[in-house]
Amino acid sequence: MQMGRYAKIIDNIDWGLLLSTMCILVIGLLCLYSATRVATTILFWKQLIWIGIGLLVMLMAFFVDYRFLLPLTWPIYLAVLLLLVIVFFLRPEISGARRWLSLGPIGVQPSELAKIMTVILVAYWGEQKKHILNFGLRELVQPFVILSIPVLLVLIEPDLGTAGIITLIAVSMLVLLGIKRSTLLSAGAFLVIALPFGWLSLKGYQRLRILSFLDPSRDPLGSGYHAMQSKIAVGSGSLIGKGFLDGTQTQLKFLPEHHTDFIFSVVAEEWGFVGSLILIVLFMLLITKIFSIGLKAKDRFGTLLCFGIAIYFSLHVFINIAMAIGIFPVVGVPLPFISYGGSFMLVNLFCIGLVLNISWRRFIF
Amino acid sequence: MEHNIPAPEVDEELKWKARFLIVVVIALFLVLIFRLVHMQIFNGSYYESLARNNRIRIVSVKAPRGKILDRNAIVLADNRPTYNLMVIPEDISDVDQVAARLAGIIDSSVDEIIDIIQTGMSRPYDPVYLDKDISFDQVARIETDIFHLPGVSIEATTERDYVYKDLASHVLGFLGEVSKKELTAHRDAGYEINDLIGKGGIEMICENDLRGSKGIRVFEVDALGRKIKVLDERPAVPGRDSELTIDKQLQVIASDSLGSRVGAVVAINPSNGEILAMVSKPDFDPSMFLTPMAPEMWQQIIEDPLHPLENRAFRGQYPPGSIFKILIALAGLSTKTITPQDTFYCPGYYILGTKTFKCWKEAGHEDVNLHKAIEESCDVYFYNLGKQLGIDVISQYALYLGFGLATGIEFQDETTGLVPTRQWKVKRFGTPWMPGETVITSIGQGFTLVTPLQVAKAMSAVVNGGYLYEPRILKTSKPEFKRVSEFSPEDLAVVKEALRSVVEGEHGTAKRIKDPMFSIGGKTGTAQVARGYTSKLSDESDIPYKYRDHAWFFGFSPVEAPEILVVAVVEHGGHGSAIASPVVQDVIKGYYFLKGYANGKVRKDNR
Repeated sequence: MQMGRYAKIIDNIDWGLLLSTMCILVIGLLCLYSATRVATTILFWKQLIWIGIGLLVMLMAFFVDYRFLLPLTWPIYLAVLLLLVIVFFLRPEISGARRWLSLGPIGVQPSELAKIMTVILVAYWGEQKKHILNFGLRELVQPFVILSIPVLLVLIEPDLGTAGIITLIAVSMLVLLGIKRSTLLSAGAFLVIALPFGWLSLKGYQRLRILSFLDPSRDPLGSGYHAMQSKIAVGSGSLIGKGFLDGTQTQLKFLPEHHTDFIFSVVAEEWGFVGSLILIVLFMLLITKIFSIGLKAKDRFGTLLCFGIAIYFSLHVFINIAMAIGIFPVVGVPLPFISYGGSFMLVNLFCIGLVLNISWRRFIF
Repeated sequence: MEHNIPAPEVDEELKWKARFLIVVVIALFLVLIFRLVHMQIFNGSYYESLARNNRIRIVSVKAPRGKILDRNAIVLADNRPTYNLMVIPEDISDVDQVAARLAGIIDSSVDEIIDIIQTGMSRPYDPVYLDKDISFDQVARIETDIFHLPGVSIEATTERDYVYKDLASHVLGFLGEVSKKELTAHRDAGYEINDLIGKGGIEMICENDLRGSKGIRVFEVDALGRKIKVLDERPAVPGRDSELTIDKQLQVIASDSLGSRVGAVVAINPSNGEILAMVSKPDFDPSMFLTPMAPEMWQQIIEDPLHPLENRAFRGQYPPGSIFKILIALAGLSTKTITPQDTFYCPGYYILGTKTFKCWKEAGHEDVNLHKAIEESCDVYFYNLGKQLGIDVISQYALYLGFGLATGIEFQDETTGLVPTRQWKVKRFGTPWMPGETVITSIGQGFTLVTPLQVAKAMSAVVNGGYLYEPRILKTSKPEFKRVSEFSPEDLAVVKEALRSVVEGEHGTAKRIKDPMFSIGGKTGTAQVARGYTSKLSDESDIPYKYRDHAWFFGFSPVEAPEILVVAVVEHGGHGSAIASPVVQDVIKGYYFLKGYANGKVRKDNR
């Protein structure tokens, strides 16, 4: 009986999703090696360990019924809030922002956890309110208030990129759930009015980045420099690239942050258009897979989780690559499975485990 | 298996929207792909050439540092143009040939040059300095040969020039390379490694004004690293000058008068708190910190027992000696403990319990009133008065005059001295305050510590009618003062007259500096360093230097409406009247000399 059950699991795993994830992971490791080997190989090995732990997390997320998350939603929410508060009060600033929480030798970035927490929270909320077809202002007050707290906490770290991503995830998921037309219109109007105030509340360097995106010559040494050097790296990759470990922009360190936020430039420079295209297609495959699993999930909670995770990946991939090729301002948004970062890797692999779980459980009564 | 699957609960509306969202996401990703096609396939060769020749060079242009000027706009810290020889290792095609050509021009051998370039190869695009501050002749020879020297360039920049070397070095401060800690502390301020930053004095407190902001030049170079054209430029914004209240001429007079002795001189305008001269000795030449210093030399400077980098004017803490008697006198008058006419009898000593406290004059002063007590600096008078006031009142009045507190001058690193109290004594030593300690506190010995600047601030208030001005050294600072309401004008006038007789009276302790041209008031002070070595008991030269007393003098002039007040302290100088008062006299005389000269000029030219 047991044997039969496991045979079924293997049959019912979404191999397409798993395979594209693994391909992207391998590409990511190669790029990270290329990007960091001149300075240090430690980051490469650390990332490898993170992937190992991440795969375990993924396995866990795969085997435990995802509906187990339903009663855990509020504890997760409160735990993330607590971490965000702790990070703000206890940690010193690293390059201008308090984002890291150190647990012994490991650094945890609570803002990464906040993103996936948002997905779970909105999915939970959608599950609870499944009898409502379109939400009006009155119903939206609750999620708005609940989500403003983590968004504000992330904003004051300050981590504009993450706060933006959390907001976008929440808004897209709520729009999917259905919002009254009148409510959407008034929210849009409010946004237009609130925008100038938002601009005023940005930090100097954040404004500078947006301005230098609009006019790169404003600040050729600062954020404009990132954008300019990244564009040179990407463009000079041409059709087939300069070859693994041969990207001059990467190897000669013209590119700052090329192991985190600008890692796509390494792909594009060393593997050219062909490599970039393969990577983007792999991501498209991954994301559409997650969407379609969501469409087939056996309950609304699973569906919403998948959609949320698909939105989460779409936003990261699009913003990160768009930034590297100079069509989006420089904001700190990493590329899933590719950029260096432990918390981010764990969360991403957890998401994949969750989606595989949802996919598999639709066969279970 | 498909037939086993239950119909999913997903409602149609949600499904429809999700499908639409998938289309949007795919469309967005297609935008990325189109953009990549555009950049990598159509414009690939353009970017490729940019990358291959890495032809974009971004150089930051240093901003000329603001000057530091004295009150009459005489430049104390200037900028001197200098030329540095640098290479970008990556751009050198033939290292041997370049090294051979340069070896004939600069003071390095071929091997040394090759060595420096090879070391720089680890970061081949970062410029490496071969020589700094090269002569104009060397610049000319390199420039004429520049076509054969690919990768070599001359950097025209400026270097801080402290025009008068060690004059006012403690006030001006010095520059040093920005440290890692400072880099992180001022991350948004745009400092880079190797930048200079103010590390002390005006250079530090006015750093933000003086530094200006860097410019940026983006230019295209050819494969040999030669500039082709400037693509973008943002000029540097020069730093703003800092104007001081210091009078350079008076500073020279004060500095010369103190000479090679260890100590400090502060000259202040008692009617507004402007500092006219501030000397601390030993001093140093600030320019020696501009280039990285050998660790042994740095070690030697910071381990020097005389601490040449310390500004003694506001960091040196000394017992106030007899200058403190002025405070005791004012406290006595203000609390109505005494009237100016009240007398104490001085037999040459004072007995408290089992202890005997001597007056400096062994024969005694006999009947002493306040005026005589100050004029002749009678210790016994103040033993008696201090005992009657008690330590609580004394420390309270010390605080009224700003002792034990920062003076408020623009420098951030002043020391506050020490005003002892009962609580302090218990906390510090675990023993209660002893009456004998009140007695010696009354003549400025014991635990009390003051800085020369605190004395200048407090004594200004005594002679200007009770207005306690914060000393200031920047012309742009606004005068800040408060009236010490405890002191009545009548009491202050009594004390001031007594201070005049210190210099002008028949028995004044500083009558040697009496001047026929202008009235001077003041007070001597001798701060005991070690008990048992009191200088009055033996010839000063018999006492080891480090046990000799510190000599104090403060003087002001003219007595009626003081324009200048000078405080001098000479460490281990012995008696205040003999050693410190001539310094104060020199500065006061110098002040009048300079004033007369300046006034004459103004009248001739402008009126």
